[in-house]
Amino acid sequence: MTFSQRHIAYVINAVILFGVAGIVLTSENSHSSAETKTRVEESKHLYGPGDVKEGYDSPDYTTKTLDLQKRIGKEADLLQFVSNPPLGLPDVPVPEDNPVTKEKVSLGRKLFFDRRLSINDTFSCAICHIPEQGFTNNEIQTAVGVEGRSGKRNAPMIYNVAYLEIIFHDGRESTLEQQVWAPFLARNEMANPSIGYVINKIKAIPEYKGLFEQAFHGRGPTMETVGMALSAYQRTLNSADSPFDRWHFGKQEDAVSEQVKRGYELFNGKATCNACHLIHDDYALFTDNQLHNTGLGYLASMGVTTKTTRVQLAPGVYADLDNEVIKSVSRPKENDVGRYEVTQNPNDRWKFRTPTLRNVALTAPYMHDGSLHTLRQVMEFYNQGGVPNEVLSPLIKPLGLTDQEMDDVVAFMMSLTGSNVGTLVADAFAAPIGDISKDDPNWAHEKNIK
Amino acid sequence: MKKKAISKAKWMQSIITFTCVLFVSVVGFQSTAMADETCMSPYMAKIVGQEDYVYVWTLGVEGMGDGQDKLVTLSVNPEADTYGKIVNVLSVGGRNEAHHSGLTDDRRYLFAGGLDSNKIFIFDVHTNPGKPTLHKVITDFVEKTGGMVGPHTMYALPGRIMVTALSNNVDHGGRTGMAEFTNEGDFIAAHWNPTDEDLRGAEKVGNAADGYGYDIRALPRRNVMITSSFTGWSNYMMDFGQMLGDAEAMKRFGNTVVVWDLHTRKPKKVFEVPGAPLEIRCAWGSNNNYCFTTTALTSKIWLIYEDEAGEWQAKDVGEIGDPSKVPLPVDISITADDKGLWVQTFLDGKTRFFDISDPFAPKQTYEHEIGSQVNMISQSWDGKRAYFTSSLLGSWDKTGEADEQYFKLFTWNGKKLSHEFTVDFYELKLGRAHQMRFGAYSLYSQKPNSSGVMLSQTK
Ligand code: HEC
Ligand code: HEC
Repeated sequence: MTFSQRHIAYVINAVILFGVAGIVLTSENSHSSAETKTRVEESKHLYGPGDVKEGYDSPDYTTKTLDLQKRIGKEADLLQFVSNPPLGLPDVPVPEDNPVTKEKVSLGRKLFFDRRLSINDTFSCAICHIPEQGFTNNEIQTAVGVEGRSGKRNAPMIYNVAYLEIIFHDGRESTLEQQVWAPFLARNEMANPSIGYVINKIKAIPEYKGLFEQAFHGRGPTMETVGMALSAYQRTLNSADSPFDRWHFGKQEDAVSEQVKRGYELFNGKATCNACHLIHDDYALFTDNQLHNTGLGYLASMGVTTKTTRVQLAPGVYADLDNEVIKSVSRPKENDVGRYEVTQNPNDRWKFRTPTLRNVALTAPYMHDGSLHTLRQVMEFYNQGGVPNEVLSPLIKPLGLTDQEMDDVVAFMMSLTGSNVGTLVADAFAAPIGDISKDDPNWAHEKNIK
Repeated sequence: MKKKAISKAKWMQSIITFTCVLFVSVVGFQSTAMADETCMSPYMAKIVGQEDYVYVWTLGVEGMGDGQDKLVTLSVNPEADTYGKIVNVLSVGGRNEAHHSGLTDDRRYLFAGGLDSNKIFIFDVHTNPGKPTLHKVITDFVEKTGGMVGPHTMYALPGRIMVTALSNNVDHGGRTGMAEFTNEGDFIAAHWNPTDEDLRGAEKVGNAADGYGYDIRALPRRNVMITSSFTGWSNYMMDFGQMLGDAEAMKRFGNTVVVWDLHTRKPKKVFEVPGAPLEIRCAWGSNNNYCFTTTALTSKIWLIYEDEAGEWQAKDVGEIGDPSKVPLPVDISITADDKGLWVQTFLDGKTRFFDISDPFAPKQTYEHEIGSQVNMISQSWDGKRAYFTSSLLGSWDKTGEADEQYFKLFTWNGKKLSHEFTVDFYELKLGRAHQMRFGAYSLYSQKPNSSGVMLSQTK
């Protein structure tokens, strides 16, 4: 993709994204204009990084930086999104032994934003799954964990994880309750040395006193209850009732533009996206919960490396850096063979799970390694037929879409932002961020440190 | 290894004494001390003559030695038996991303920050300058400041330390601020940097008000404080090579310099200075109302100056090396006479001397390769000694053979640098050598006797 193409794609994304936020606002609010204005101001914080970088490609880039002191939250009744999921979603699957309750959700939310639950008090779940960034991280391609250790994958969104049948990009986990222990213990995520370490730390932090007992009929923090609380919170983050849902399931003709309708036709027709990103008759999760090889992982593992890399230095300023120079400051990069790493089956090489496309406008950069920056780039990738390799999915082939058609499908994906995103993000802003205080356990708090 | 000290001409010394006493009296200090490395707060007590020790804030390396950060004390007085040797190693626990450190105005305590753990270690360097001890650890920097992450510059103000931050606890990005502590390490106040949404009364002069932070310097005689801007936690902790290949990450660098009102701590002007302006060094001359900064990514020298109308301005005044090759200028150091600026370029391991007699037209007049990589420099007030260390950031340093970690002393005769000694920090299993601060017995009216036990000395 050339510079100008990429730039245009960015502008398109920005315009459409803003449009989506606008739609949500007007639909949620029909009060006085002063109120509308403050709502618009607030909304800027809810639908993207506060450090706004749109247009950074251009030398004329102007900051529109939002202020952290104005990132103000508002608690919401999250349970409604479980008992009565937004339009376009099926019933929320809830495990029999872990019903979602108010106490559990509020405890799980507290845990999710607690940076003390890592070896050095610097990492919460929310540091990688940032609420206003689609509960992912828009600012880096692949995750960085404790002590700056590299992860090889892009942090996925937490919206609608209640519906996941297989968890992680390679589908290696099966329940949310179990999943939480992977980031807690991974050396390149929260780096806790053991399960007991996490449990003991929670027990020693005064703010948690009694909270587990209240939520779990007298049971304190255990490997199980920590997983259950976090899952209960995550299970409430169900988001739909998007312009698409209102049009498609709600039969509101004017809920989306003509372009979105054309994009929908292409998605289910010429572009064959629905072969994997499924839309059912009465709901849509946009995933088949299966794993496929699109060739992107193959390219990263097997592709030929170039001599130079284009690096941006400032707005509109680039340099082509010699890759030898980059190598001199690079630690070894981990390879990623996808599903194969779970099954050891060579037919599973470079297979990744089909992600949902709900709220996809908010979750750039895209794919398991964050290597595609815009939805337009994703469209170009599919249009060229992915990257051919011996185990490429037979469902991936050149599509022959025109520029206009690709833009139409992008517009369709932009119409998938749920109406309750603002509510969920504002609620997340209201959650206390757990940072170490003098009352918490730390060797440096002992009386005589010498 | 022991080398002879460069004997100073008597008249030189008295000129320095005179200027410093003059200067000190201008800023209203009773101290009779003088002479110091050149990049410190003007509020700070000064070292008399030769420094005895250099404190090196050192990053622990996983799998090497005890694997944790440490304050390494080197003996650097040529008169001492221990000259050129490490005399003390104080491990502090954890790899905190040790980075910068700064002394209190009375120079009794050294504050040293961890960009990752957000801890600030306060060392007692006055009880025994040759054997610093850990006095206190601030663990609640993030909580106390309301969400600032990455304590960076520790800058002495009267009775206080101003700590700039690099990031925040919400998105680990670049929006941040700075916070004030007492010399005892008690939190006083937080000041968030100006952003578009809340400029806090400042004027946005260019296209940028990004709220990023990095260094701070004050010009008390102009009631001015100046801050620069780097990048957030996600970038400064990320593998350097990985970041260069991550187009999203590369958009997250600071492009601003802010001029503040020193007394009210209110921002006045936000300048657009693209490409990560890092260290700020202000001129010492009483009529030289300007400071320099260099941009790490775009390799430029910028002058932040007060014009004839009394307005502060920012101007691009020169290039460092070949900007298209991204030499990555890092630490800089101004000479005491405001005539020279040392600039280290990390990727080619060079130090470069710029003649800044005309601050609007810096000219490079000398360069020398210090090692395979170089970051920090500290020079003595008379400019004759320049100490260098190697580490930039734990995840940004070079890898393999090129990852040399050292402390080196060079002498400077105005024309060329001569190597005096090197201490290899990897050979000694210490880690990555980062920032240096000087210590001296003269500061505390102390002198070691022959057995190394300190005696009180009346002046
Ligand atoms: C260091 C960044 C980081 C932290 C901290 C982190 N995550 Fe993640 N998260 C990721 C990445 C990266 C993945 C994808 C990993 C993979 O597929 O192998 C992921 C995947 C997930 C998934 C699966 C989503 C899906 O679509 O399959 C869930 C759920 C999740 N994280 C929840 C959490 C919770 C709960 C915590 C805190 C206990 C947490 N994460 C902490 C980066 C992080
Ligand atoms: C063969 C099944 C399949 C088909 C057909 C398919 N996709 Fe995908 N899609 C996937 C898989 C698998 C991934 C994850 C790839 C990865 O992570 O590398 C994915 C990822 C995506 C993503 C990135 C989402 C994110 O959060 O990172 C988008 C957007 C997307 N697809 C849109 C489309 C569109 C539009 C079409 C039609 C042009 C399409 N897909 C066709 C399987 C498919």
